[in-house]
Parts: sequence; C-alpha cells; structure tokens
Amino acid sequence: MRLTRQLRPTTVVRAHCDVPCGIYDPAEALLAAKTVARMVEIINGLEGNETATRNKFVRCVTVKEQHAEKVKKEVQVIWSDYFKPEHLEAIPDLHTKVWNLLKLAGKNKQNVDAAAAADLVAATQEFSDLFWSTKK
Amino acid sequence: MLRLFLGASAILGWVFDASLVVRRARRGPWRAEVAEGSMAPALLPGDWLLLDPTGGHWPRPGSIVVIREPGSGILAIKRVAARGKSPELEPRESWLLGDAPAGSIDSRAYGPLDADALVARAWFRYGPPGRIGRLR
Repeated sequence: MRLTRQLRPTTVVRAHCDVPCGIYDPAEALLAAKTVARMVEIINGLEGNETATRNKFVRCVTVKEQHAEKVKKEVQVIWSDYFKPEHLEAIPDLHTKVWNLLKLAGKNKQNVDAAAAADLVAATQEFSDLFWSTKK
Repeated sequence: MLRLFLGASAILGWVFDASLVVRRARRGPWRAEVAEGSMAPALLPGDWLLLDPTGGHWPRPGSIVVIREPGSGILAIKRVAARGKSPELEPRESWLLGDAPAGSIDSRAYGPLDADALVARAWFRYGPPGRIGRLR
C-alpha cells in the first residue's frame, strides 16, 4: 500500500469542459415551445365564466409565460456556451436567428397568439436542427 | 500481472523521484492524474500519466500537453493542434484543442497560448493496468 501511495500522481490535470461535459440538448427548449403552443390552444378554447374556468385560464397563462421564459433560457445557454466561432462559419446567420427566436418567445409571453406560438415552435425546431447539424 | 505492474511502476516511480531530486531546479509535476473527459477516448478520467516538465518549447502537433489555463490558472490537459510557424500563430504560440470537441474548453475559448503557459508534455500512461502505454 505504501508503494501505491508513492506511485500516486502528485497532481490532477483537468481535461475539462463546460460542466457537465458537453451535454447540451435543445429538446428542453423544444418541449417548452410546444407547451406554450398547447397553452395558447387551451386558453383560446376556454368558454364560460365560472370560477373553474377562470382558474384554468390563470393557470394556463402562468404555464405559458413560464415555458416561454424557459425557451429563452435554454436557447440562450446553448447559444452562448455551446456554439463556437467555427460553427458560425457553417451557420453565419445564427445570431440573427437566435435573436429573432428570443424575441418571439417574448412575444408569446405577452400575448395569446396562436400564429406567434406556431412560429415559436417552428423557430425552436429550426434552432434544434441547427444544433444537431453541428454534431454530424 | 498486478505484481509485475506494481514492481515496474515502483521502479519507474523511484527513477522519477530520483530524477526529481537530481533536477531540484526544475519543479515537476512528473506524475498526474486525469480528471474529466474532454480528451476522451485517448485519455479517460483516472488515467495516471508520466509527464516531462522540461522544455519551454511546444512539442509537435498531436502531442498531449499540460498547460496553465489562462484566467482560471488551473492545470489543464489538451492536445497541440498547431504551433508557431503556421501563418496565423506567433513563433512561440500554440493552438490547443480537446479531443472531444463538443464541450471542451480550449483555444477556441481562450485563443492561442504562449509557450510560458506550457507546464509539461504527457508521454506515458502508467495506470490503470489495462491501459498502460505510450501516449499518442
């Protein structure tokens, strides 16, 4: 045992990466965008003015806003931490695309707009496709 | 087999400890343990490496080096992708990359490194037993 102790490395060298190592996945963002769209659909389908309906309305609005915010957060992390300059060569309009996506998420927070929600899902899907295209 | 490994590495260890005494002027590290996965599959967390801390010149591209990371100051292990001579680098500079490109923090994050940041060259893996051998 004394031998192994003598042999032990004296230092730790880190082959390090963003922690956890390289685990980025736009799936969360996409799921959140789809949740926003589903909430808009439910809100638009609500009828009546009973307490139960109003309660559901408030809950759906809350979930919609939370998930629109989640889209922003998930996309921002991948954008700032995962994408590197070499990716920009293949995707020169990445910044514009992300910027528009984030604005779209903001628009979905503010409004109940089925078209905007569909746009958000499409833009997040495109972002996801771009992400996976860099993994090939 | 294990005993052979222990014996052989004990001798290696003593040789290196002896040389450490002899070369008092040069402070190691001579042995290092790898943490984290950005050099996978060439290096895995827990690998024990022998280092050559002599030098002050970047070894040739493809070599695995231990560096003092700019900013954080931690000891990091990466691979030399290019060094001086190549047109975009200063004579004493080197461009370092992790083998697992996705999340690796390397020259894409902190740019080219001056030879002052070079700590050692990793040249041999002496543990775990099944993975002993020269590094490439």
